[in-house]
Amino acid sequence: MTLRKLKNSFMGALVAASALLLIAVLVVIMWHIFISGVKYLNWDFFTKAPAPMGEGGGGVFNAIVGTFLITLVAAAIGTPFGMFAGIYVAEHRSQRFADIVRLCADALQGVPSIVIGIFGYTFLVARFRSYSALSASIALAFMFVPTTARVTEEVLNLVPSGLKEAAYALGARRSSVVWNVSIKTAAAGITSGLLTSMARIAGETAPLLFTAFGSRYIEWNMLRPMSALPLQIYIYASSPYPALQQQAWSAAFVLVLLILLLQYGAKHLIARVLRVKA
Amino acid sequence: MAVQPSHSDRRELVRERAFTAAGLTAAIALVTTIVLFLVQLFVTSRASRAAFGLPFLWRSEWNPVTEQFGALPMVVGTLITGFGALLISTPFALGIAIFLADYAGKKVAEPVKYLIGLLGGLPSVIFGLWGLFVLVPLVSKFEVWFGKLVGSESLVASGTTGVGLLAAILLLAIMILPFSASLILESLLVVPTELKEGALALGATKWDTIQNVELPYVRRSTVGALVLSLGRALGETMAVTMVIGNGMRLPHSLFDPANTLASAIANQFLEATSPVYIASLVQLALILFVIAIIINIVARIILRRGVQQ
Repeated sequence: MTLRKLKNSFMGALVAASALLLIAVLVVIMWHIFISGVKYLNWDFFTKAPAPMGEGGGGVFNAIVGTFLITLVAAAIGTPFGMFAGIYVAEHRSQRFADIVRLCADALQGVPSIVIGIFGYTFLVARFRSYSALSASIALAFMFVPTTARVTEEVLNLVPSGLKEAAYALGARRSSVVWNVSIKTAAAGITSGLLTSMARIAGETAPLLFTAFGSRYIEWNMLRPMSALPLQIYIYASSPYPALQQQAWSAAFVLVLLILLLQYGAKHLIARVLRVKA
Repeated sequence: MAVQPSHSDRRELVRERAFTAAGLTAAIALVTTIVLFLVQLFVTSRASRAAFGLPFLWRSEWNPVTEQFGALPMVVGTLITGFGALLISTPFALGIAIFLADYAGKKVAEPVKYLIGLLGGLPSVIFGLWGLFVLVPLVSKFEVWFGKLVGSESLVASGTTGVGLLAAILLLAIMILPFSASLILESLLVVPTELKEGALALGATKWDTIQNVELPYVRRSTVGALVLSLGRALGETMAVTMVIGNGMRLPHSLFDPANTLASAIANQFLEATSPVYIASLVQLALILFVIAIIINIVARIILRRGVQQ
C-alpha cells in the first residue's frame, strides 16, 4: 500500500509542478516585457512618428494608428460574414451542409497566418499593384470570419429553446425570432466574441508583412502602406540598432496592454451574460 | 376567407427572404474561402511547378542565386521543430490538465486557467521578441557549454549565435503548451463522475483513478488535441522566423540555423525578385496550407468521435 500511496503523492506533486512551471514561464515573459518596455516609454513614444534614421527619440504613433485602423476595418468587413455564417449554422444545426460549414470554419482557424499573408499579397497587392492597409484588413478579415462564426454559433446555442419556441408560437417568422429573441439574448456574448477575435487579429504580424508593408509616416489613408504595432515590433527587433530594439520592447508593452484590455472587456461581458443566466 | 397581404406583411416577407439569403451567402462564402485559397495559391505558384515539377518536394537545394529551389530543407525544418516542440510540451500539457481537472480546487483552478488563456493569447511576435533577446542568448551559452562537453570545436565555433532549430523548438514548445493543455483539460472535464467515484470506492488512489480510468477514457480526444497542437506548431510563423536563423541548407544538428516552410516565406518573400523565386515561395505556402487543412480536419474528426464515444 505504501508504494501506491507514494506514487500517488509523487504524481500529484509532479502535475502541480508542471502547472507552476507554466505560470513561471508566463511571469518571466511578462516581467521582461514590463521591465524592458516601461523603461523607454515617454510621451513622445505615444505621440510621434519614428525619428529619421540616426536621430534619437521618436515614437510609434504611426503604428498605434495603424493597428487601430487595420483592426477595426478588418472587424467591420468580417463581422457580417462571420455573424451570418454563425447564425446559419446555429439555425440549421441538423443539416449536413451546416456541418460542413462548421468544419470549414474550424479548418480555416488553423490556416497559418503566413499563408493568409501570401494569399493577401497574390490576391490583392499583386493585382492592384500597391501595398495598402486595406489589403491587410481584408487578409485579417479572413482570420476574423471563422472565429466569429464559431463564437456566434456557440453563443446562439446557449439561448434557451423555450424562448424561441414562445416567439414561434406567437407567429413570429424565423428572421424576427433570430433578430429579436436570439440575437438580443446573446448580444453580450456575441460582442464578447467579437472583442476576443479582435484581440487575436490585433496581434497578428505575418498577414501584414506583404500587405500593409509598413510606413514611417503617420498614415490615415487605408489605400496606402501603413504600419502597425506588431509589424513595428518585428522590424525593430530584427534591426541591429539598440535604440530601435528598445523601442521594440516598448511597442510590445503597448501591444500587450491593448490586447489585455480587449480580452478584459470580453471576459467582463461574458461574466455578465453568465450572471444573467444564473 | 382570403386576406390580401398587407404592406407590413409583404415587408416582413422580404426581410425574411433577405435574412435567409444573407445566412446562406455567408455560409457559402466561408466554404468557398478554402477553395479560393487553394486556387489562388495554385495558380500563382505555377512558374515553380513548371521549372521543378514534383521533385520540388524532395530537392534539397534552395539557392536564390542560381535559382534552384527545393522544399526539402524547409519540410525537414518544419517537421523537426513541430514534432520536437510537441514532444517537449506534451508531458507538461498533460500534467497541467490533470492538475486543473483533479487536484486544484476552484479557487486555484480559475486563476490558473485565466493565466493559461493569457499566455495563449500573447501574439506570436511577442514570443519572437522574447525568444530573440532572452531565450537565444541562453541557448547560445548552452551550445558553448555543450560543445566543450563533447569536445567539438566546430560546435563551439559555429553554433555560438544561439539562433537555430533548438531555440525554435523550445519557443514553440512554450507557445503550444497553453493550447494543448486547455484542449486536454476540456476532454478531461467530461469524464463521468460516476466512473471516477467507482474507482475511488474500490480503494484506488487518486493517481490510480487517473491512470486507469480517466486517461484511457480521454485517449482519443487527447490524440485529437495533440494533432491540433501539432498543426499550430507547424504553421507558427513570426516567433520561429525570429529565432531560427534563416538557414537555407539541410540542417545537420539541432544547433544549426534552419528554416520552416513558414519562416522561409516570412524571411525571404520581400527579397524575392525573380518570378521563379516568388512562385517557389508561394508553392511553400501552398504545401503549408494543404498540410494545415488536412491536419485540422483530421483532428476535428478525431475530437468529434472522442466526444460521441
